[in-house]
Parts: sequence; C-alpha cells; structure tokens
Amino acid sequence: MRLSSLSVRNVWRNRLRALLTVLGIAVAIVAFVLLRTVLSAWTVGAEASAKDRLGTRNKVTFVVPLPKRYIETIRQVPGVVDASYASWFGGKDPRHENEFFASMAVETKTLFSVFDELVVPPADRERWLNNRKGALVGDVLAKKLGWKVGDTVTLQGSIYPGDWQFQIEGIYSSTRKVVDRSSFFFHWDYLNDSLPEGSPQRDRIGWVTTRIRDPLQAGAISQAIDRAFDEQEIQTLTMSERAMNLSFLGMVSAVLKAIDLVSLVILFIMMLILGNTIAMSTRERTREFGVMRAIGFLPHHIALAVLIEAIVIGGLGGGLGLVLSYPLVERGMGRFIEENMGSFFPYFRISEGTAVAALVLALLLGLSAGLLPAYRAARLNVIDSLRRAG
Amino acid sequence: MNSSPQASPSGSDRGAASDIAEHARPTTAESIISLRGVRKTYFRGKEPIHVLQDLDLEVPVGGYEALMGPSGSGKSTLLNLIAGLDRPSAGSLLVAGADLGAMSDSQLARWRANTIGFIFQAYNLMPVLTAVENVELPLLLTKLSASERKRRAQTALRIVGLEDRMHHYPRQLSGGQEQRVAIARAIVNDPQVLVADEPTGDLDRQSADEILTLLERMNRELHKTIIMVTHDPAAAERAHITRRLNKGQLI
Repeated sequence: MRLSSLSVRNVWRNRLRALLTVLGIAVAIVAFVLLRTVLSAWTVGAEASAKDRLGTRNKVTFVVPLPKRYIETIRQVPGVVDASYASWFGGKDPRHENEFFASMAVETKTLFSVFDELVVPPADRERWLNNRKGALVGDVLAKKLGWKVGDTVTLQGSIYPGDWQFQIEGIYSSTRKVVDRSSFFFHWDYLNDSLPEGSPQRDRIGWVTTRIRDPLQAGAISQAIDRAFDEQEIQTLTMSERAMNLSFLGMVSAVLKAIDLVSLVILFIMMLILGNTIAMSTRERTREFGVMRAIGFLPHHIALAVLIEAIVIGGLGGGLGLVLSYPLVERGMGRFIEENMGSFFPYFRISEGTAVAALVLALLLGLSAGLLPAYRAARLNVIDSLRRAG
Repeated sequence: MNSSPQASPSGSDRGAASDIAEHARPTTAESIISLRGVRKTYFRGKEPIHVLQDLDLEVPVGGYEALMGPSGSGKSTLLNLIAGLDRPSAGSLLVAGADLGAMSDSQLARWRANTIGFIFQAYNLMPVLTAVENVELPLLLTKLSASERKRRAQTALRIVGLEDRMHHYPRQLSGGQEQRVAIARAIVNDPQVLVADEPTGDLDRQSADEILTLLERMNRELHKTIIMVTHDPAAAERAHITRRLNKGQLI
C-alpha cells in the first residue's frame, strides 16, 4: 500500500458524488473539445494553406477590388509560376435560402494549375471549361443540395444583383482533407461580360492567387509584386495564402476569441465545482487527517494525499470526456457539420493538440481545484481534528 | 513475531532519531515520562483558562497508569502533552528522553511516529483500508519495503488475535475487533509509549474486558508504557496506578 492508493480509494468513497463529479468534468471536457474543434476547424484552411501560394488583394481592404490588368503584371514577376484571379460572388440558391456556400467567379484556364489539389473527372473538366455558364461545385455541396452534373441552377446575387443561371458541369473533390468541398466556381468571363458597360464592377477582380517556384522566396516575391503597383492608383498587399486566409477570418476574430474564452470559462467553472466537492470531501475526513497527523504524517503528506485525489478525479473526468468526445465529434456532429457547414468547417475533427490540451487541462483543473482544500487540510490542528465528530 | 515489530530504527527513522536526539535530556533513572511544573493555559478571547497547573508527574518505564477525573479536569490535555500533540505553556516535559517543549512541529511529528502509539475511543480506522492496511499505515513513514511493511502489519494483527480478519474492512468488524486493529496499528512501529484515550468508551462490557486484557498483555509482554484516560473504574482497576485529576491538578 502507498499513500497514493489511500487517495485513490478515497475518490470512490462516496460513489455517487464521485461519479457525478467525474461526469461533470467529462461534460465540461466535451464542451471544451467541441469549442476548440470549432476554433481549429475554422482556422484549419488557413493553417493548412499551400506554402507555395501567395494572395494579392487591395492594400486598403479586400472588399475593394483590383483592376483585372494587374494579373498580367503579377505573372511577369520573377519567381511566379502562374497566377489566377477570382471575385467573390455571394450567391444564394433561392430554393435553399438558409444554406450558405462560397460562390466565386474564377479564371478557368489557370484554376487547376494554381489549385492543383482540386480533383475533377477529365470529362467534367472539359465540359466546364467549354461552357461559359458552367459551374463546378464541391461534392459535399452537391450532395447536400441534391445537385448533379447536367442540372440547371439559378443563384441570386447579392453583390451582383439579379438571377444568374448556371449548368452544373462538374463536381470536384480534393486531394487534401482541409480544402472546402462546398464551393461553387463559375467563369469570371460570364460574370464580367454580363455587367453593363461602364459599371464600376466591370473588369475588376477580387484577388489574385499566385503560385511561386520557391516558397523560401515568398517574402521577396510578395514585395516585388507590391512594388510593381506602388505608382498605380490602387496599391496591393501581397501575403502568404495562410496570412490571407487568416485576414478573411479577421472579420470573425471577435467571435473566435469569444469561443476561446467560453471554452476556458467552462473549465474554470468546473474547477470551482470540483474544488467545492474536494473541500466537502476533505471536511468530512477531518478526523482521519487528525489521526494521520497524530501518528506522524507531516502536513505535506496530507496535502499530497488531497492533491492526488483531486488530480485522479480530474484525470478520470478528462479521460471520460475525451472518450465521449471522439464518437460525438468524429462520427456524429463532425460529419453533420462538414456536410452542412463545409464552407466554414471543411474538416471538423478533433486535432491531436486539442485532445492533449483537454487531458492536460483536466489534470491541471484537478490540481488547481485541490490546492485550497489541500492547503486547509494540511494546516488542520491535530487536537481539534481528533475532537471533530464523524 | 518477536516482541518488537521494529526493533531498530530504519531509513528515515534514523534521520529523525538523530534530529530528535538533539532534544534528548536525561530523565530520572526509572522514568520514561517526567513532568515538572507543567502548566497549560488556553485563551478564550483575552481570558486565560488554566487547564493544567504546576503539574509534576513521573511515570516509570513499563508503567501502566490510568488517568481519571471529571470532564474538564484536564485529562485529555495531559494525555495530548505526553503524546506530543501539544506543548506545555510552562514547565518541563520529558518523554522517552526528548524535551517535547523544545521541539518543532515536524520534529514532534517524527518523534510521535517513532515513540508513541495511539489508541482512540472511536478507533479511528480508515474506512477505505482493510485491517492489515490500516495497521500498515504508520509504516508508510519508514523506508521499509512493501513486503516487510506487510509482514510487520500481519504480525501485529496476529498479536492482537485478528489474523483471520486481515482483509476485512472496518465496517465488516465488530467494535471490539476494530479496537484491536487500532491497537495493532499502535504497536506496529514498536513505540515505547502507548497513549489510550477512553479505549473502552464505545464498547460493551465483554469487548471492553477483552481490550483491557490485551492492553495488559502489551504492558506485560511487550513492555509498553501505557497511559490511559478513562471514566471506567473497571478499566482503571487494571492499571498499576490510577491518578486523579481535578481542576488541572493531580490529587
């Protein structure tokens, strides 16, 4: 027998209380894992960006477009392999008002050389390239909205008002899990040619994605691109694809920070509840601590016994929480979210970092919750403790 | 088991022993407990309460003494002082050669672990531990191996006649059996002094007699010095000497 085995047995002394406490921590850990997965899934696209791609946008804000002619200048910059432009369309299917998906007008001839992770059957690809009104949609989106190759769909534009008709010519998937498979791509030319002469939106592009030869030269090439437009009426800001994706996320950074905070607040509340449980449990055993002190145990032995107990409860709750989280997130909620909210969460899975953080935080939660009760138990007066009834 | 479950100090006990040796003082030739002019005063707010007043007491090695007296007479306070759970407000208190008034809390704790065996009225066993584990508990403070700890705990239980209840939890034992486990726990470290605070207070007559007989054996066969606080005249009769306390003074 060891002192730690006494602590472990004391955990299960009041089985119902221990079980409810462990379950409480497990639920808090599930909530933590879920919220952390929301955070990591939201930023996973940015984090997993290709290192050999740069994004160029308006220096002031990405909401204001760039002149289309800039693409030719960018292609001439040394180190650039190819470049492709796109504009945010912001369309909605009126038959599915509540379904959000990314719809973009893209330069078709360069799309696949810059975004080589997109996988489209050769026949579909050919048809799409040859049909100005053709659309290429992600397989997750197609499945969700019931679209198939050959269908005609109408999108209502928000940035470009009106009804826009497309034929689904291809369904794409991806070689990388983190790529959004819920996007809707169509020909930029179709959009541009449909705009009236003199429209301020005509011959404008939202951003340019550039593929470069050497990722180590990304900084120098970015500067070279921006320098090329220094004297132009609209300056550019070029950054890595990761930084660009993160700048898009900047719009929702407050929400992300709030989620981050809430996930920690949940654990803090659970720490207080666990602290109360441990305090109650140690209070009930005051006389036993008195006996241990009488027969020679030192205050730090008592503190250690209480801390081990608290850490064991934290660890059990953390372990159970993780065991519950995996089927919930990976098999249930994750699949649902990827299918229905793929634009925001293309890959909704628990990362290793989240799992480790959850377990470590559960142990720390136990340790923190046990600190005050352990301190108080260690400071008990031996004689007063022995007099305590019960 | 020989008469001494832990005949010589081991491991940390040796360190503790040398620590405690700093405070060793000569007691009288035959005394293991020596109190001279001991006072104990508590304060209720600013009001002093004199629990023990100028107490002198000599207990010989191997003595078996009962302390009796009305509630509030200072019996338990005196027992706590002798057991090193408390310090006197004034006077000198030597137990087993150690000047308890001069020792720090941690020194006192180590001294108690080596010198004193405690027997409480309410047994005070750990409900989550079996009988043998309860007896083993004080040995966790030593550097004995797990197997040696277990062996000594089993031997102590055999001495109190509970070899067939080693793996029972306290809730599975009668009151008398629980107190016997507590006595085994008290002797497992081979202490020189056993302090018993109303050891038969929660027991029926028959069980009480069995416990008193066991204490007699501890005194006679294992040569333990026993100081027992009791309200029970039958228990006091078993002791060699019965001392009476009243209003903090021996009468």
